[in-house]
Amino acid sequence: MKKPLLIFIVSGLVILSTALWLFTSAGRASSMDIMHFGVIVLVVAFALFLGFRRLSNVKRGEPSEDELSKKILQKTAATSYYISLYIWVFLIYLKDRIEFDTEELLGTGILAMAVTFAISWIVINFRGIRND
Amino acid sequence: MTNRIKEFRARHNLTQDELAKKVNVRRETIVFLEKNKYNPSLKLARDLAKTFSVTIEEIFIFDDEN
Repeated sequence: MKKPLLIFIVSGLVILSTALWLFTSAGRASSMDIMHFGVIVLVVAFALFLGFRRLSNVKRGEPSEDELSKKILQKTAATSYYISLYIWVFLIYLKDRIEFDTEELLGTGILAMAVTFAISWIVINFRGIRND
Repeated sequence: MTNRIKEFRARHNLTQDELAKKVNVRRETIVFLEKNKYNPSLKLARDLAKTFSVTIEEIFIFDDEN
């Protein structure tokens, strides 16, 4: 029960800080900022989806996570970390060639890591884990 | 590795939900097991065997046994 609650709290904080950032930069938001905002919304939606799934498991009398969900998370973390290395190499390569602020580079990299994690989770959850 | 979980579950008149609760996993894990998309841990294999009152070897069929 604690983990789903934690997911909702963190998601709420991310939404609040993103909304605050959008309101303070009203009218000055670039297309890059709007794209970042869209990606943040997607990542938060994914986190909320996981939170609601866990909550519905608990309500049905099942554990919020079990050995399969833990293995899926482990494999997702390993896969997304591996892909993230290439993302950072690509972003550093881009930084030398196009105009990119360090803050923008970091923001894009972190968001790309989050999106990679979400996509990896969806793929691994769909394919399953056959460890033989 | 394949398994006969679906067959044993039907024999014991259990739904996926009921079996999941008996072995303390999520229903989704039972779905994955029945579709052969996941090989369980030794503990879960033992719990399943206990639930169906059979041995692990009766539920799980290893490829080299075929």
